[in-house]
Amino acid sequence: MKKIVLTLVAGLVAAGSGCSSIERSRDLANPDVPPAVTAVQVCSICHGIDGNSVSPNFPRLAGQQPGYIVSQLTNFRGQQRSDPAGFEYMWGLSRHLADDQINGLADYFSKQAATPNAPVDAKLMAAGKEIYENGLPAKEAPPCIACHGPKAEGLANFPRLANQHQDYMIKQLQVFKRTDQRPNTPMTQVAHLMSPEEMEAVTGYLQSFPIEK
Amino acid sequence: MAIQLLISLATLGISFDASALPLFARQTGQNCVACHAGGQFPELTPYGRSFKLTGYTIGSRVAVPLSIMGVATYSKVSDTSKSDNPFGPQGDFLKNEMPILATGSAFLGGKITDNIGAFIQWTYDNYAVAKPEGGFAGHSNMDNVDIRYADRFVSPSRDLIFGVSLNNNPSVTDPWNTAAAWMQYVPVPSPSSYQFIDGAAPFPGNSSGSNVAGVSTYIYLNKLVYAELGTYRTANGVFSPLSAGLDNANTTNLQGADNPYWRFALTHEWGAHNIMVGTSGNIAHIYDADTDISDPNNLGKIKSTGVDAQYQYILDPHTITAQLAYMRQETNYSVNTLGGATAPTTFVLADGVTPVAPVNNSDTTNTLRAKLSYVYQARYGGSLAYFNKTGTTNTLNQTSGYDPVGCGGTVICNASSIRVNGNLSGNPATRGMTYEAFWTPVQYVRVGVQYTAYSKFNGASDNYDGFGRNARDNNTLFLYVWGAY
Repeated sequence: MKKIVLTLVAGLVAAGSGCSSIERSRDLANPDVPPAVTAVQVCSICHGIDGNSVSPNFPRLAGQQPGYIVSQLTNFRGQQRSDPAGFEYMWGLSRHLADDQINGLADYFSKQAATPNAPVDAKLMAAGKEIYENGLPAKEAPPCIACHGPKAEGLANFPRLANQHQDYMIKQLQVFKRTDQRPNTPMTQVAHLMSPEEMEAVTGYLQSFPIEK
Repeated sequence: MAIQLLISLATLGISFDASALPLFARQTGQNCVACHAGGQFPELTPYGRSFKLTGYTIGSRVAVPLSIMGVATYSKVSDTSKSDNPFGPQGDFLKNEMPILATGSAFLGGKITDNIGAFIQWTYDNYAVAKPEGGFAGHSNMDNVDIRYADRFVSPSRDLIFGVSLNNNPSVTDPWNTAAAWMQYVPVPSPSSYQFIDGAAPFPGNSSGSNVAGVSTYIYLNKLVYAELGTYRTANGVFSPLSAGLDNANTTNLQGADNPYWRFALTHEWGAHNIMVGTSGNIAHIYDADTDISDPNNLGKIKSTGVDAQYQYILDPHTITAQLAYMRQETNYSVNTLGGATAPTTFVLADGVTPVAPVNNSDTTNTLRAKLSYVYQARYGGSLAYFNKTGTTNTLNQTSGYDPVGCGGTVICNASSIRVNGNLSGNPATRGMTYEAFWTPVQYVRVGVQYTAYSKFNGASDNYDGFGRNARDNNTLFLYVWGAY
């Protein structure tokens, strides 16, 4: 038995020194680690291997615009985005990422297929669709569709919102409305025009956004 | 006075450099809430569990892989009057109503290579030993050790984490907070210092205890199935660092290396919810403490089998956790325990004449713990815990009784009877609730208050020690300030 234990211990040491593979590394300070490896070994724990996160604490990244992912990771790394979701989780993870790795991560997640998210009730869907497509004319709030696109797929630095978690989007709208933690975005002005009910409706619609085959 | 001290300690914590965080936070650069549910140490979030199962290897190696932790505490037991010696040297309530800097730990570890990481805790107990002349002597020794190799293989159809751990405590490897090694780990100072706080009340435990040496291997497949198998031996020879600081009298001696530990759990995540249902167990062939291990008559056997479940709801600003753990422990005593000097053969029943029943060769205990906790904004929290230990009655466990010599009727005068901690019935039944409220002003400081109320202690609600002490007399108020750096 003693031999078995000693063999296991020796194996543990040998495995660590000899069989360590950069193809399965979780090192976030090594610029040689391929971005796809970091995506599945680290990012996937919260965001899902295919970018379709289960918990609404963490945004879905599947099908996200690569330009938006790059801008957010860069802002996390530079600590320009300081909302709680940013500094609690992402500042540290992104602090040593190289530009190439950030670009690679954006490429990985943007190429994942978004899957349907939890449905919301039909009345909320209808109210949200109205806001998404036509804005809030009485408040002179522009329609979301203008920047985020007819399929809510986003464009360049405007993020994809289709199938994003409702809870995450509401919290971010509140960050835009109440804080300067995400500066230099037109959403600061838009969010100020939205009531909590309107935020709930439009984000509910977006969470359940119908995916076209 | 005590509260003032605790608050000033908390304030001291607030003045620390906010960028200075414990070891793993420095490695990942993340806040404590990333890995600890609602910031409650040591309960892990799903991400924290992955961090542990992948061998503490996420992030980047830090230059000085060290961190420290300290606990300052104060306790007040409901009734200290029913004691022969409440406050003198070796007294029953020596540290009662006295704020103390109870324990401190140093941690070493984190990421070593891409596949190897460690969690090594060394603990100093300022009140480890009560000196005969009064006062205390401090003592330090190895606490939790978990050094592991882990790898994770991901393909479109499979997500497999595989690992091997060298550790010194069955279940210290476990990522769920209902594991025997972790459920007790609310800020518990110097267990020897306060006998009735929640940390000293019954918890499901494994057979061999800590500071042994073992290797376990585990898999976690598709975030669905967790399985672990290990075996333990005495932490001596090449393994002696795992029990460093403990003298021979306090070292756990196991027979051979055939002392298995097993763990199986099913897990599921949906939305902000996650749940685990599992079972675990440990068989220890264990020598009586501080005895000759060449004598087979000092060898006993303890088998523990448990079931446990944990549910978490984590969605900022709310964290809800429900935990349930049950452990059945079957103890087969050594020949020398059964026939030796430890058996209370001199006790009689309350009539002063009838001898007590003979000693049983074995005992079974069943320990249940249930806990519900809520934390708001990872800052304000509370919990409610229920504990219930039941078991077989055995005169072997009777530490108080009636002596026929010079006494009669209900008069108790046997010198070996023990006040306060004595057990008149020979039954271990202990039951109660713990209520807790806590505040985490900054993520590495926690201030809390607990109240533990007993409805049964050592087998009885009333007069459990034979000297008129009731279970409720042990109700205890406990204040703590926990800090880490």
